[in-house]
Amino acid sequence: MSFVVGTALLAVVTALACALPGTFIVLRRSSMLVDAISHAVLPGIVLGYVVTRDLDSPLLIVGAALAGLLVVLGSEWLTRTGLIAGDAPQGLIFPALFSVGVILVSASFANVHLDTHAVLVGDLNLAAWDQLTVGTVSIGPTYLYVMLGMLALNVGVIAVLYSRLKATTFDPQFAASQGIRTGLVNTAFMFLVSLTVTAAFNAAGAILVLALVTVPPATAYLVSRTLPAMLVLTVTIAAVGALAGFWLAYVLDAATSAGMAVLFGVLFCVVLGATRLTQRRRVRAGATAPARQAAPLR
Amino acid sequence: MTAPPPPGSTAPLACATHQLSVAYRETPVLRAVDLRVPAGVVMGVVGPNGAGKSTLIKAMLGLVPPLTGRTEFFGGPLSRARQRVGYMPQSASVDWDFPTTVLDVVTMGTYGSLGWLKRPGKAQRDAAVDALRTTGMADLAHRQIGELSGGQRQRVFLARTLVQAPDLYFMDEPFQGVDAKSQRAIVTVLHALRAQGTTVVMVHHDLATVTDYCDHVTLLNQCIVASGPTVEVFTKENIRTTYDVTTGDDTFLDLIA
Repeated sequence: MSFVVGTALLAVVTALACALPGTFIVLRRSSMLVDAISHAVLPGIVLGYVVTRDLDSPLLIVGAALAGLLVVLGSEWLTRTGLIAGDAPQGLIFPALFSVGVILVSASFANVHLDTHAVLVGDLNLAAWDQLTVGTVSIGPTYLYVMLGMLALNVGVIAVLYSRLKATTFDPQFAASQGIRTGLVNTAFMFLVSLTVTAAFNAAGAILVLALVTVPPATAYLVSRTLPAMLVLTVTIAAVGALAGFWLAYVLDAATSAGMAVLFGVLFCVVLGATRLTQRRRVRAGATAPARQAAPLR
Repeated sequence: MTAPPPPGSTAPLACATHQLSVAYRETPVLRAVDLRVPAGVVMGVVGPNGAGKSTLIKAMLGLVPPLTGRTEFFGGPLSRARQRVGYMPQSASVDWDFPTTVLDVVTMGTYGSLGWLKRPGKAQRDAAVDALRTTGMADLAHRQIGELSGGQRQRVFLARTLVQAPDLYFMDEPFQGVDAKSQRAIVTVLHALRAQGTTVVMVHHDLATVTDYCDHVTLLNQCIVASGPTVEVFTKENIRTTYDVTTGDDTFLDLIA
């Protein structure tokens, strides 16, 4: 497999793996929690690297994801104490963890490619450098298979938990009154998000991973009438945006993750503009209740 | 206060709280509430804003952790009666832009009876359609929920609880923000439930309709002022105590009691 094709595939698979759980993140209105997680996993990644000496190691990913879960559970606990309101608990926990990570990176790893710049925005091309070969034939970047595994895990868990995830996202109190273990569903899902963010860290870094997780579902949210429709649209936008962004970065010789994030942003603005235009036109036409086609149910 | 019911004198209880107290941080909301709901009655819970009416329901259902006390459902803990207890929260509590349809929301009422891995099938959807028919919403089954009026939202939430077919309903202001048509539809369901002998505990705001809708009433202002059959306890004196109304406002009280 040529390097360009392998890297482009890696971009698409990473975008898909991030956007899929992102659908529920956007609906749960906890987008910024992803930002907190992606920063908090840094010390876990650094310590994991000390142990495994391999940034793609599954052991490292799980260990770092546990650090991400620390932010989720820690801020939930701080909120429950009732002493600190809003999202301040997140603001208290993740900068501390991130700083520990930054200090570790600059103190002990000045000589490896885990520098603070890559930590922030990632480097897809560097991540794709290590190729997997069968015999003498290259079958693409090793990291591509890590992200494919992550994508498969996300598809599997979301398929299994679909009903519970939907119920606890739409109305957690009603779900709890039915005896659904909302806390358990929430923790399991946030651990999945934490794993995904950690796995995508190499490609997108601590900041741009937020764009991969939230922008495609937020765009789909603008025009979706049902959850299955939103999932399909999210996946489509993620794939198209990732490919186009990769191409943009390739042509401009710029950072790939940045190209993808910009493309996602542009797609969002286009969809937002289009929906507002049609709304305005509808109002002008005097249509009070839009007679829309009934969407297929699942 | 925690004494057991006098032997042989009471109807079986649908649910009862014992010394239930709730506080939000340092602010007490409910103080030592001993509520007894006899089976088969429609009980209205009335009181001024901030009296803890919604909190009472949520604490009973374990959605808000109580400071002290416990609640029994049909003589046992909630965990043994989950499927017999239905909750209809205030409709303002969810995001109505959520990408889903009316039928799908009502089908979610069946999820509690499904296991972790089971998906809702035809039986669940048929039950949901039935519940929508009961609340007069069958025509709107495939609407996106964002296109509903306030009254229609309440009817969707009512249908979602109906689909569970519980023996005991908790409704948090079912008549909040409804138009006349939805009001009629909800009242019809309420009367049908009462005729079947189902128990309903309902937070209610409109004092003028309490005597029409409720067999029993609980007047609440952080603690229970009075609780019992409407004809006995829904008196001017008790309402005045609950709402801190001065004696000069008797014309207002004459209107409602």
